[in-house]
Amino acid sequence: MSKPKLAHVVLGGCEGCYVSLLDVHEGLVDLIESTEIVHSPFTSSTEMQQCDVVLVEGAVTNERDEEKLLAAREKATTLVAVGSCAALGGIGGLRNLFSADELLDQVYGDAKPSDGLPALTSHVKPLSDVVEVDISVPGCAPETKNLLAALQAAIAGSEWEMPRRNMCDECEREKKELLKHSSEFVSDAVYAVMELDEIDPDKCFLEQGVVCMGPMTREGCGAKCTAANIPCRGCQGPSRMDFEQGGKMIDTLAAILPAGALMYLDDLVGTGYRFSLPISVFPAVVDSKGGDRDE
Amino acid sequence: MGIYVSRSRGTVSDVVDIEAAIADAREQAAIVRVVDDLFDPAVQAQMVADVTDASLDAVVLAGNSVDHYTRSLSGQHIKRMLVDAGLNPNKIIVANLIEQVALVHGDDRDGATKKAKAMIDVAVLRAMMADPLEALETDPVQSIAILGATSEGLVAAQRLLQLGFSVVIADRANGSERLRDAHRMRATVSYVMGHSESRFIDDAKVTDGQGWLGDYELTFDSPQGKVTHHIGGILLAEPDETAWVEELRTHFKVDVDDEGRARSIDPATHPAETVDPGLMVVPATEGETAMRERVAAADSAAIALILKLTQGKTMHYRDTSRVDETLCGGCSSCVRTCAFGACSLDEDGLSHVDVRRCRGCGKCVVSCPVGARDIVNSPHDYIIEAIQTMAQSGFEDEKIMGFLCGGCGYPAADSAYRSEGTYPASFLPLRIPCGGRLDTLHVLEAFKAGFDGVAVFRCREGHCHNLIGNLDMDRRINLLRTVLRSRRIDDSRLRIIDISPFDGKHFTEQVNELSESVATLSDMKGGSQ
Repeated sequence: MSKPKLAHVVLGGCEGCYVSLLDVHEGLVDLIESTEIVHSPFTSSTEMQQCDVVLVEGAVTNERDEEKLLAAREKATTLVAVGSCAALGGIGGLRNLFSADELLDQVYGDAKPSDGLPALTSHVKPLSDVVEVDISVPGCAPETKNLLAALQAAIAGSEWEMPRRNMCDECEREKKELLKHSSEFVSDAVYAVMELDEIDPDKCFLEQGVVCMGPMTREGCGAKCTAANIPCRGCQGPSRMDFEQGGKMIDTLAAILPAGALMYLDDLVGTGYRFSLPISVFPAVVDSKGGDRDE
Repeated sequence: MGIYVSRSRGTVSDVVDIEAAIADAREQAAIVRVVDDLFDPAVQAQMVADVTDASLDAVVLAGNSVDHYTRSLSGQHIKRMLVDAGLNPNKIIVANLIEQVALVHGDDRDGATKKAKAMIDVAVLRAMMADPLEALETDPVQSIAILGATSEGLVAAQRLLQLGFSVVIADRANGSERLRDAHRMRATVSYVMGHSESRFIDDAKVTDGQGWLGDYELTFDSPQGKVTHHIGGILLAEPDETAWVEELRTHFKVDVDDEGRARSIDPATHPAETVDPGLMVVPATEGETAMRERVAAADSAAIALILKLTQGKTMHYRDTSRVDETLCGGCSSCVRTCAFGACSLDEDGLSHVDVRRCRGCGKCVVSCPVGARDIVNSPHDYIIEAIQTMAQSGFEDEKIMGFLCGGCGYPAADSAYRSEGTYPASFLPLRIPCGGRLDTLHVLEAFKAGFDGVAVFRCREGHCHNLIGNLDMDRRINLLRTVLRSRRIDDSRLRIIDISPFDGKHFTEQVNELSESVATLSDMKGGSQ
């Protein structure tokens, strides 16, 4: 029996998901031995090859990404969206708060971009906006064990899904105030991590007035950030793909933390939609010509 | 499913092309009947026969307002008949074609028909998507708590004691001493005070409460300590003492009027009944005959309670929140959101609902970031589909989505016809149990689906049935403005409207203002989508 053929395609992203795959360590040897890698940025072939499984990393940000993705879909039996850029649009999706023209104008001004650069798409898209995706592994970067499990499932031709609860399920920090029936907020203010001299490493961030995206974020990461005394940034996206991570942040936190303080949070939108703006109800600005204003 | 559309003796049929309005709904229904009046006994008999013969599992009543079925005894009667015939209460769905269509859009037959169609289609959607409520049967407790050792309270107590009930009479001051020294009603006072089945609690406060008709628990705090009484009904016999109302409404559903008194379902026709069927009030009256009227009202309230509690088992339908345990991650945002203390996190790390405390407002559903919560009467998926259905109602001009809180915006819309003005038929209403049920996602979906404006109605401060549903909604929806602006959607398209349940004039003005201001904005549908 021939080995299953594997391909790896990189679109608009940082290639950090590769590092997560390398974190399989010695498991990688087994993986390399048991599969045949027919196409990757590190192999000589430039053309997408016929394969059983293609891992696609990065979001669709320009026309070349779109072409590469369509080719990958055509040649592969199973397409795996690897990482938050591929699955949710990712952090680069925050560029959707501007139109492509504004963006180019901001970056280049009067200078002219080099020839041969692919044209930007109007906005950053997750793979699922362009092709059918069989398996999604969100995370920035995706957790190694999830990536490996998804890959094994893809090779075996079986299904794989991320766990569906929120990150609090995995988080070990203790809640006390949140468990009490009360009409008071759990904190009198909202603090940035840097504003506090000390953060209790065992106490829920929200109870210390620090915005943590844990409740609004899908579990599966092992709650590493909160274990390292860093609040969740929401990299795995919402646990229900039809929920808005940023909208739910408002719905959830408005009864827990003082709303007035949330209102003055420096970057409410950037915090809530940091990794998932392109899968939100309005994935981009509504009017590229400068907005819906009464003029 | 059966659909019954009322011509309302011309009120509806003169304005709405009923056949056009029910064209799509017909495909979903086994029986469709267009009748003159839903309250005609012959029509009602036909409905009951249909439910039985055709084994209908849902019925859409297109005609009167939802509130007609909760705030009038004849409306309650139809519901009861249908339930007795085998329908679940959550499968009796109302589309309001009178107050919210025919009476306000008489000058726009085409618009009224489109709107009526959207409302019937949404009712059909709800009939299909809402799960039946679970029924709980109880042996009603033959005991009544009377709040206020007043003359009217004493008369009610005497009546109850004579008919075999026990009574707990709580007073905010030294009620029993006051009665002993009183010169009036000596016989009644000595009968009640000497009866072995009466208890007095002086200097009392209500500190906790839970349950429903036939099966309440009330906890009183007094100098003698805390005591919990298991009772079947509550009679508020001291209408001017608003402290009772303040305490009761932190545990039960109580309508409050501008003076802070408990409001009855209809002060003109049913002065003692409230939205909670086990809670009766003596209406506040003034003038020379005030005392006589109060005593009569208290006596009839006592008799009504006796009737409700002596007809065998009482049935309570659990209209509450539920938890999907495969999704709950134990973040406890619901615990913090619930104003009634009905949510708690157990040893298993999952959220649990105390059904005796849950009032079904839906705030926990909104606060739940994983979709582990839902309420039976307005499921999340239904609201989303209803918004989409209404968006496709075929209006060319500016469409406004109105999220109507059942406690304020909906009754205000019902009274709009009494004010002189009209408003555009392209204002499409969706009733939600409480402003607190409104998810930011609902507003975003409404804009996405093609609405040009969104109106959210909010009970005035201190009037929310669910204590702080209005304030929570306000916080959420105002924070959402930042999100809208970030997508370059002008947030003046979203309006939060403070409203009293009877202020139809304000309703009309606000809807018109929003509609006009939205018309001045550029078209939202262009751009990079």
